[in-house]
Amino acid sequence: MSAFVCQENVGFLFSHACGGDAALACMRCAKPLCAAHLRSVGGESLCAQCAREHGDSTEEQHAADEDDPSYYYNDYGYYGAASAGSSWGRGSSHDTNDFTEADGESLRREDDASFEEDMGGS
Amino acid sequence: MVGRWLIYALGGGMGHLTRASALARAASQRGHGVVLLINTPFAPGLPLEDVLGSRVEVLRLSPALGREGVGQVVARCLKDLRPDLFVVDTFPRGLGGELVPLLPKMRARKVLVHRDVNPAYVKKFGLARAVDAFDLLLVPGEDAPFASHPRAVRTAPWLLLRAGELLSREAARARLNVRPGDARPLVAVMGCGTSEEVAEAGDIAARLEAALGSRARVRWLMPPGADADSAGLPEASLASRAVVWPALAVLPGVDVLVGAGGYNTVQEARATGTPFVALARPRLYDRQAVRLRPEELAGSVEALVARAAQLASGRPVRGPCLYLSGTEDAVTLIERTVLSA
Ligand SMILES: [Zn+2]
Ligand SMILES: [Zn+2]
Repeated sequence: MSAFVCQENVGFLFSHACGGDAALACMRCAKPLCAAHLRSVGGESLCAQCAREHGDSTEEQHAADEDDPSYYYNDYGYYGAASAGSSWGRGSSHDTNDFTEADGESLRREDDASFEEDMGGS
Repeated sequence: MVGRWLIYALGGGMGHLTRASALARAASQRGHGVVLLINTPFAPGLPLEDVLGSRVEVLRLSPALGREGVGQVVARCLKDLRPDLFVVDTFPRGLGGELVPLLPKMRARKVLVHRDVNPAYVKKFGLARAVDAFDLLLVPGEDAPFASHPRAVRTAPWLLLRAGELLSREAARARLNVRPGDARPLVAVMGCGTSEEVAEAGDIAARLEAALGSRARVRWLMPPGADADSAGLPEASLASRAVVWPALAVLPGVDVLVGAGGYNTVQEARATGTPFVALARPRLYDRQAVRLRPEELAGSVEALVARAAQLASGRPVRGPCLYLSGTEDAVTLIERTVLSA
């Protein structure tokens, strides 16, 4: 079983994946991250990109909202919040795979992923 | 019409194996002969034959087998077994892409078990084309990229046990070494995923024991075989260890389940209405952060322990137990596909 590696981009001149041992995934985009690259933002543990997007989307929100548990989850979602939860009874699933900025993020790191190479993948 | 089924469930962890076992069990109970192909490192320790029954034959490939070796074994299996039906879990091209040249040559009907997968993999390996090789796409219990494919059918999540096979609350607590009359809430930390994650579950259980003291009982669940290497474990975690598989059977006795966002843990917790909190573990194909609902997802071990301790300290309230498994429906759908050939 190979240890999973952090896929956060690092380096100023030549961007490359960090490669540190990853234990957790970004709570929004599922990117594997090492402890050094997990950012805690408003109760969520996020990658740099998602933390930036969180900052953009919550700038105008009141801090008082933090007492409300739903505050943390208002903008939760990856390919739309529709994918959070069991939805076998629902109709279309198109939303969950529309191309989004997060897709661009995935593609930038696709060279690092060992799809069809790692026979212990799951 | 009774058929010969080959179920391809290669992949690490317990997920592919468990989901495929649920189907294999239901199929064999309808009289089909089933061969289950697996390569997870957890396989050797699990009493699969006991749970699956004598009509399911389990082929355990070595987890050490690389891409080429897997390709050779799979080709050989298909040639030797000549199944009427070939069921592939999750990977329409095969784990190493080995199915691509084999599928068009097969006379068997082909069924893909289609769950959520990493969109980068979907795009990079042209899965839209790969899924077209299948006669039926079964989508069990969660959204998936090709859930709207004309040959895709959704079912309820697949669960390994029937509702009547779960232990009663009392029996489950006894199985987890809780004394009769001890009414304290029971927190179970699920050890699965990788061997590192099983060990980390022990650490989380120890932290929960420290946080909860005598207010609750804590158990570290692990599948048989994963308990071999217990050297260097803290005393506390050894005391709370419970070797159990399938863990689904004991969930009626668990008041708070702590785990990760793999398919089976999540579906089992929801189906049994067990209060649940989990970490999103990094995976190559699976997106646990997407599967978990916001209220289930903890962003760090600290947050996980805090949330679980909080749930256990209040009177944990079980959700509605809407125990519904799609395996029977899946077998029916597959049988229809074979008949329509
Ligand atoms: Zn992210
Ligand atoms: Zn990193």
